[in-house]
Amino acid sequence: MTTRPIAPKTTNTVWPQRLKDHVLPYLLVAPPILLMTLLIFLPAGQAIVETVWIDGAVTVAEYIKFFQSPILTANLWFTFWITLATVGLLFVIGLPLSLYLRFARGRIAAAVQMLALFPLFVPGVILAYALIRAIGPHGLFDTLLHQIGIDGYVSPYLKPQGILIALVWQEIPFTVLVLTAGLRQVEDTMIESARDVGASDWQTFWRIIFPLIQRALVIVFSLNVIGTFGAFTIPYLLGPAQPMMMGVSMQQTFNNYMDRTGALTQAVLTFAFCAAVGVLYVRTVTRSPEGRP
Amino acid sequence: MTADVLVSSLADGRAPRRAPALARTLVRQAPGVFFLVFLAIIVIGPMLSVVLWAFAETWWYPALVPNTWGLKYWGETLARADIRSALPLSIGLAAAVTALSAAICLPAAYAFARLRFPFRQPLLLSFLATNAFPRFGLYVSIAVVFFKLDLVGTLQGVALIQLVNTLLLMIWIPTSAFQGVDRALEEAALDVGASRLRVFIQITLPMVLPALSAALLLTFVSTFYEAQGALIIGIPRVVTMPVLMYSIINSQVIVQYGAVISLILWLPSFVLLGLVQRFVRGGTMAAGFGV
Amino acid sequence: MSSTVAKAALRLGLVSALGLAACAPTTPAPTALPAATQAPEVSVINFVTDSDTNISDWIQNKVAPAFEAKYPQYDVQVTIVRGVGGGSGDVADRALAALQSNADPQVDVIEFDATSKPELIEAGLWQKLDSTTVPNASTLLSGIQTSEYSLPYRGSQVVLAYDSSKISEDEVPHTFAELVEWIKTNPGQFVYCRPDKGGSGGNFVTRAIYEVTGQDPSLFEKGTPNPDLVSQFPKAWDLLSEIHPAIFDNGAYPAGNTAVLTLLANGSVSMATAWSDQALQGLANGSLPPNIKLTQLTDLPFPGGNARLSVPRNSRNLQGALDFVNYLMGTDGQVSVVKDIGGFPAANWNTLPQELQQEYTTVIAETVPLWPGGDWDALKNQGWYENVATNIPMGS
Repeated sequence: MTTRPIAPKTTNTVWPQRLKDHVLPYLLVAPPILLMTLLIFLPAGQAIVETVWIDGAVTVAEYIKFFQSPILTANLWFTFWITLATVGLLFVIGLPLSLYLRFARGRIAAAVQMLALFPLFVPGVILAYALIRAIGPHGLFDTLLHQIGIDGYVSPYLKPQGILIALVWQEIPFTVLVLTAGLRQVEDTMIESARDVGASDWQTFWRIIFPLIQRALVIVFSLNVIGTFGAFTIPYLLGPAQPMMMGVSMQQTFNNYMDRTGALTQAVLTFAFCAAVGVLYVRTVTRSPEGRP
Repeated sequence: MTADVLVSSLADGRAPRRAPALARTLVRQAPGVFFLVFLAIIVIGPMLSVVLWAFAETWWYPALVPNTWGLKYWGETLARADIRSALPLSIGLAAAVTALSAAICLPAAYAFARLRFPFRQPLLLSFLATNAFPRFGLYVSIAVVFFKLDLVGTLQGVALIQLVNTLLLMIWIPTSAFQGVDRALEEAALDVGASRLRVFIQITLPMVLPALSAALLLTFVSTFYEAQGALIIGIPRVVTMPVLMYSIINSQVIVQYGAVISLILWLPSFVLLGLVQRFVRGGTMAAGFGV
Repeated sequence: MSSTVAKAALRLGLVSALGLAACAPTTPAPTALPAATQAPEVSVINFVTDSDTNISDWIQNKVAPAFEAKYPQYDVQVTIVRGVGGGSGDVADRALAALQSNADPQVDVIEFDATSKPELIEAGLWQKLDSTTVPNASTLLSGIQTSEYSLPYRGSQVVLAYDSSKISEDEVPHTFAELVEWIKTNPGQFVYCRPDKGGSGGNFVTRAIYEVTGQDPSLFEKGTPNPDLVSQFPKAWDLLSEIHPAIFDNGAYPAGNTAVLTLLANGSVSMATAWSDQALQGLANGSLPPNIKLTQLTDLPFPGGNARLSVPRNSRNLQGALDFVNYLMGTDGQVSVVKDIGGFPAANWNTLPQELQQEYTTVIAETVPLWPGGDWDALKNQGWYENVATNIPMGS
């Protein structure tokens, strides 16, 4: 809840107070909520029911089938692994970048920020296409190495590394935006006083900045995990045939094996994981002093 | 724990270091130059190969640059009937979805920010659900309903699917912007006799405009590039540019078509990046995600 | 879900962007008039296909404009149903439903093999297509028309594409066994795509299945897969697993036909399977370098197929439909098949310009084995993913 008093002005209004307090807010939020209910909650609920209500009885057979399949469980672990590596790498790249953007001024900083935000404007399919030609076998990078006499370049195309590189590339802008915003809440005066008493850069970061941006870190972590776990286009075009990420696996099950329930089971499992991470996000956000988002 | 306590616990009596001015300038610029070069390679590198391909007539390994340059494929791509119909369709669709999204989300965002009502926060946070369930699983279920409603293969169907994808952005960012508005200013204006409408237009709106613009532009861009929903719900009748891009990249021998389409698809992005640059600086967007 | 997708899609007329705000489904006004009495200045011919982009591109951007220039009274509308439910089959089902309820099927010509749904033939949905209704059908190659309700109009086949600057003429494999040997002795130089992502990979896997079942494609019949044959699939998986480590980049399988051609074009591999039409098109437009050559196995060729056209009897523009089919079967259409998409003509070569024949003689096979598809495909793809693409053994 906000710290500011939210007492709407009652003068000037033609509506009875009760109507305004009890009906108006719901009228205003109804359209998006309704849309979300119809197009997210209902189909998601229907999908969940379809996976456990088979032939007129409640059963977890589909889930047992999933966990008994070595291929599908390998896909699930592969997805975990890729997601964790992606998010880890995002922190490794995003944190120094955001620290720089938080404290730097001038034209170089502006250019760095613009480059960091650029991926926001590149859809996955173009990225995959560009990466195949840039770092794929005999692509631009390979050719460059060949021209200067280095051969034996091993391309990440059709390997887990290919997915990793592309997913990190895509999520850099969001990571940098959120971390930079988190860092802006650290007052300059705090850092200056830390410096004044002789704290090293590392000490300043670890003991002053880090505790203050934990919230931003959790937000970056959870939203990136949710975004990465269900990825489809990138792993489809750049990843190996086996194992595949869950997003690819469920489409494969649906389109190739014509197994609708199997595909939905995978979707529900993916959702369960994302929902768990979503809870982490919600707890972090609601515990905050201001109670936003 | 306050920062002062922390700082004093760090104090160990060392004197503050002071480097010579020139060295300090160099040290200061070094990380910037490093990040600039790093990002230029990482971000521009892949894009560069696309640009080169778009202007290549033939390009065979191990040539570093195309063997023959030319605009041949620009002519061919722009003459394609499917692209000529998909481009205006995509722009129109993205604009319409953005406008619709604003129409239903902004009043809701205002309510979330300014009115107090039961379940306010759970309802606000529930929009996270639009990102948590795998799209594919949703579309498979939605498709069944859409067939019954005759929405498959229609603009309305695609617009609805894309609209639901915009909710998170279009509600969270404006909500936090409305929350950030200084109420004292509004009340002062009301006190001197300004009408509510006038206060909204002259006081509230200018303060939330940067965040609103960021939300609108990001919504437009993400809708313009949305492919999965448009693919599953839109085809065969509604073919947007990203959907076309998918099929061309996956099943067209001529690499250049894809490269040229990529560049065409970037055009709006470049324009928007210039516009959005000013607004995202202040963290208006990140605030929407609860930072 | 599949049977209704295209149905619903096709029932909807063209929707203007302005209709968006209403968010209401539009229902096309029923057209009660039969085709004969309909005499507008320009009549629409609805052409439906579920082929790859190179084919739909060609119809939409090359054939339709040329046809309309010759027959200004027609306007060809191409609808692509690729990737949607059952593709053309769904549209055919819907046409039958329209026939029974006397409604507009919204389709005049469809790229569809009538024999794949015998029940529709029995129900009398299709127009007979022979030289009485389509004069140019008289030039058809003998033996390729399997039903009088579908007219084959172009063919394509999977071929072996190789880099002649790296592989000498006498090194090129001629049988599947030789190919397997070649792959093993040249690790990393061969690639095929995932069987479900492109026919060039799918038919390589099919060819491996033929190899282990006695090289007799006629055993594989449409419909429910024969369990005797399916029980022999593991032999094919063994064969493909044997070459798995020798495939490009230690067993990396690209996600489509064109991704394979990209690797071949930039020299990452020196041999691959490819669709004849895509490879020929690539050579013609320079996206494949000229040192790429095509060849076919001589013991049993790689599978391929003919694309067929069908016309529903209840088409609201029957004359237009027949004119369009006739155009495709004529010299203009058939030359375009060869020149623009590198396809095999369905018409006799002697009705086409001589020089055309000489140019394409290397890739024309005597026979084109056909894989039945359907449930067979699901078994083939699943088996490949579970046994070949992965090192995980098939467990419980």
